[in-house]
Amino acid sequence: MKISLDWLAEYVSWDDTPGELAAKLTSVGLNVEGLEEYRQTFPEVVIAHVVEREQHPDADRLSLCSVDDGTGEPVQVVCGAPNVREGLTVLFARVGAVLPGNFKIKKSKIRGVESFGMICSANELGLSSEAAGIMELATELAPGTPADELYGFSDTVLDIEVTPNRPDWLSHIGVAREVAAIYGTMVSMPPVWSFQPSSENLGFQIKIEDPDDCHRYGAFGASGVQIGPSPDWMQNRLRAIGSRPINNLVDITNYVMFELGQPMHAFDRAKLTGDTITIRAAEPGTLVTTLDEQERKLGKGTLLVCDGDGPIALAGVMGLANTEVTDSTTELILESAFFNPKLVRTASRGLGLVSESSYRFERGSDWDMVEKAALRALQLYHDLAGANILPAWADRQDPDRKAVQSIPLRLWQVNRVLGTSLTTDQVAQHLQSLGLKVQPMGNSGKGSRNAVDMMVRIPSFRRDLFQEIDLIEEIARSYGLDNLSGGSGFCGAGGGVRDQDDLMQRRMRHWFSDCGYHEMVTSSFLGSGDNERLGMSEEDPRSQTLAVINPHHGGDTQLRTTLLPSLMDVVRRNLNAGASTPVRLFQINRTFWPAGAKRTDYLQKDDLLLPEEPVFLQFAVAGWRRSGLDGIPSDLLEIKGSLESLGTHLRLSLELEAADSEIWLQAGSQWLIKDRNGKVVGSAGRVDPGVLDRFDIELPVAVAEINLSAADLTPEPMKFQPFTRFPAVRRDLSLLVPAETNWSSIRETVINSAGPLLEQVELFDIYRGKGVSEGKGAFGIRLKFRSQKGNLKGKTVDKAIVKILEGLSGRLNIEPRSQD
Amino acid sequence: MKETIDRLRSEGSERIKAAGSESEVEAVRVALLGRKGEITSLLRGLKDVDPAERPAMGAELNRLKLDLGELLDSRQAEIGGTGGSSANLVGDLTLPGVPPAAAGTNHPLLTVLESICDIFYGMGFSRDDGPEVELDYYNFTALNFPDDHPARDIQDTFYIDPKVCLRTQTSPVQVRTMERNEPPLASIFPGRVYRNENADASHSSEFFQIEGLVVDKSISMADLKDTVDTFVRNFFGADEPTRFRPHFFPFTEPSVEVDMQCVVCRGSGCGVCGQTGWLEIMGAGMVHPNVFKAVGYPEDVYTGFAFGMGIDRIAMLKYGVGDIRLLYENDLRFLTQFRGVF
Ligand SMILES: [Zn+2]
Repeated sequence: MKISLDWLAEYVSWDDTPGELAAKLTSVGLNVEGLEEYRQTFPEVVIAHVVEREQHPDADRLSLCSVDDGTGEPVQVVCGAPNVREGLTVLFARVGAVLPGNFKIKKSKIRGVESFGMICSANELGLSSEAAGIMELATELAPGTPADELYGFSDTVLDIEVTPNRPDWLSHIGVAREVAAIYGTMVSMPPVWSFQPSSENLGFQIKIEDPDDCHRYGAFGASGVQIGPSPDWMQNRLRAIGSRPINNLVDITNYVMFELGQPMHAFDRAKLTGDTITIRAAEPGTLVTTLDEQERKLGKGTLLVCDGDGPIALAGVMGLANTEVTDSTTELILESAFFNPKLVRTASRGLGLVSESSYRFERGSDWDMVEKAALRALQLYHDLAGANILPAWADRQDPDRKAVQSIPLRLWQVNRVLGTSLTTDQVAQHLQSLGLKVQPMGNSGKGSRNAVDMMVRIPSFRRDLFQEIDLIEEIARSYGLDNLSGGSGFCGAGGGVRDQDDLMQRRMRHWFSDCGYHEMVTSSFLGSGDNERLGMSEEDPRSQTLAVINPHHGGDTQLRTTLLPSLMDVVRRNLNAGASTPVRLFQINRTFWPAGAKRTDYLQKDDLLLPEEPVFLQFAVAGWRRSGLDGIPSDLLEIKGSLESLGTHLRLSLELEAADSEIWLQAGSQWLIKDRNGKVVGSAGRVDPGVLDRFDIELPVAVAEINLSAADLTPEPMKFQPFTRFPAVRRDLSLLVPAETNWSSIRETVINSAGPLLEQVELFDIYRGKGVSEGKGAFGIRLKFRSQKGNLKGKTVDKAIVKILEGLSGRLNIEPRSQD
Repeated sequence: MKETIDRLRSEGSERIKAAGSESEVEAVRVALLGRKGEITSLLRGLKDVDPAERPAMGAELNRLKLDLGELLDSRQAEIGGTGGSSANLVGDLTLPGVPPAAAGTNHPLLTVLESICDIFYGMGFSRDDGPEVELDYYNFTALNFPDDHPARDIQDTFYIDPKVCLRTQTSPVQVRTMERNEPPLASIFPGRVYRNENADASHSSEFFQIEGLVVDKSISMADLKDTVDTFVRNFFGADEPTRFRPHFFPFTEPSVEVDMQCVVCRGSGCGVCGQTGWLEIMGAGMVHPNVFKAVGYPEDVYTGFAFGMGIDRIAMLKYGVGDIRLLYENDLRFLTQFRGVF
């Protein structure tokens, strides 16, 4: 809401700079988001007389004028306006003037004749949209007098953020009430029309079909209105707050709306039929044309104002074109009403039509203002449009809905909620400063829990106050939030309990970043076609996604069931941007599985409608073509190594088992991931080349995904084990291993054959090629033996080695490589 | 032998002083302490000394050896040697080091979230999580948003169906936590929220919030103020003034917005703060009685406060990031700048 200080000063006084006023308003809840100097000024534009006017020698439609601009020297100027003539008093822009739209006035030559300035139209000065000709002034001011003396205006405009609970602040008078409360001054209301008693009849009666739809409707009449521009002061104020002046009749209803907060609507009486104005709900599908010349189809529940023939206004939203006030209008019917806020909101939303009027009505208007604002508008019709106000008016109201009530207030609760020790008198003063009426109940003032200490009467403009806590908020605003202090500290909460899942995720995040992985935060939405790119079949439960039904324009709608597409997107982006490889990335994020709603802990039965939201850990090594040990791609080895190392660091058991199970991973290059209970909780491997291709990625990507919500993430408990101080004995073996034999079986055989002294077995090399028979590999392994009972003897170790070699030979056909 | 020791002590120190270069110092070291040096040969000769004098002489010789060694080292340091013996130099020590692993990064949003959580953990808060796909009931109704009220306009909501939406705030976790627990309560609820709007430099349809809730028998607005001040002091630094502005949220009353003095212009007004000198950092207030009613708490027994803030905005302020979209692109040229930030 824009508030003009020039305008505000008409109702209230304050002794402060605009900046200080803004700061004080902000501190009571009218958040001033902007403070703008508004200036309407016309430098180098002056009053002038047209001394001579001749035809331009070379152009029929142009005049050549000599102008007295107060400098003493006549100025020659070419003018194109049809109404320019000798003896006129005009506004003259000298060379050097800059008119609205950054239009610079320069010395120029027009059809061969020099011109030193410009005689201005109201349109050129931004004073009106009228472009018919130059302005003809009727002023006694001497030539050379700055135009600012007549048309200059400067103002300070506050841009105030108004929260939806305070529709009363959508007006200058509402803001004036707060200013008065802050500075201890009074609000003075603007002059309003006062009716003389009369037995005349307006000619219309009001019919409200459902009093729930429209709590009050008033109709007022004016005749003999003269349409024309509104006075400068009104135009200036409207312009200052960003509202375009149109003509006096339109401007008056707008002005009163910004002044008092009550939207009103004027009909051309000559266009109304019948003798009844009816307020009723629309038949769905009704077609109407609104004032903005849009044809609109009405939905169910749209509230209408109708005359004898049918709709004349969308109640509270906008008038219809059929009864619009035009230049030929001489008689008006002015509507001022209180419409059901919910209906106005429904209509406005349904039509996608938010007007200044609907914005106020849907927030709730002021019952008393229905009458006061109309009288104010009538006064202005009389003063500014020469109107003759009809002495009769119609007012249909349901007094039970008048929003005046009293709310009981307990001092005990005030001080408990605010942490203050206010007295009854102090509380009463704070409330009274805001225009609330307080009736003390004569209690001791000690503030006991069950004692109502005062009844507070709520004025009609405060429809947001319903219950005790609303009053406590008012007291807090008046007391000053910055004056609150000395909290006890919230004792008794028992201290925080750290969530174990959260701690585990935190350790993972730090472990991955310490190991060179970069953390991603990616969208919960799938891009369109993502699941198809993954090659997901319709039978795959993850192809069942949740979708939003009202996405913003062009937005994605499906919630993801896997993190992979988001990774593909980030990888492609970074590779395209020339990131150096390998790119290591990870994320911990939620997925959304609609089929999985098997909750048992719900309190609301509708919780069953909600999806499961499993949290996944995903990490990936992208863009690496290198081969590692025995020709296995390095990215695969790194994914595996990372997973094993993660398990070690977090005391988790994460087992990998080679198996082709994941559709988007390459066959023969993937594992299942199992937790310590043997439950499958994820997969790892190289992304299938077809999938990479569909995501436009040309380099390999290895990835692992673990469902953290499904996995047992309890760390292995730590219990100290006594260790032996006897030295270990190391032995290296070189083995000739047949092609089909994998390391895991070798390791297992070594451990099973060695007996209890073997402490550790490590693979340190694989060699194939020259010196090793075709189809075999030379595996270098390192064994570590230790006894718990004493120093190991060489012979004892030798015996264990013999057992190991026997085992390898017998079970796996592996022989030691001869040392030749 | 005693005389020889005394002579070597004085002569030796003279020769060390006279050495003018690293190589000269090294030559003296060899001549005195080397395998064939004078002191070494004296030590060897100890076996010929009278057994009665031998321990004293041995001790004397060793002391001389240590003293000269020290003199040699300090002379070498004076001349500008590396301090160690040049014989131990392995090569060019200015070559690049080898880190144990490449440096990765944590995402700045989550780093900020984590450090905010830590401050509240330190103040005794616990943590709870709630669903991101949430019932309209928890996101709005139980939080005292009347059906069909303009307050709902503030938040453009993604709906899955008429009863289910993507949460627009972390506040529904308040309700779920209160439904399951009796006060006293002090908990934070961090997480992702959604708004149905088009992305631009300052708006994203997905972003992060953290919510806090404290409920007990006599929690006051003054407690809220203390808690917020403690947080701001810890997170932003000791000297950042804050102010409370009355505001409106359906689920708290009195409601406030908390501003912090602009970190860019220090209150004098700039583009970042819209010339106001203040930056809005959180919304807060006293839990509305209607919310207590919705979770089934008895009337008039408890009071409490709640607060919430946008993590994205705070991260952007803290690190000078001007466009919120950078936070969700995961561009390594962005992320790698946050190496070492915690
Ligand atoms: Zn600033």
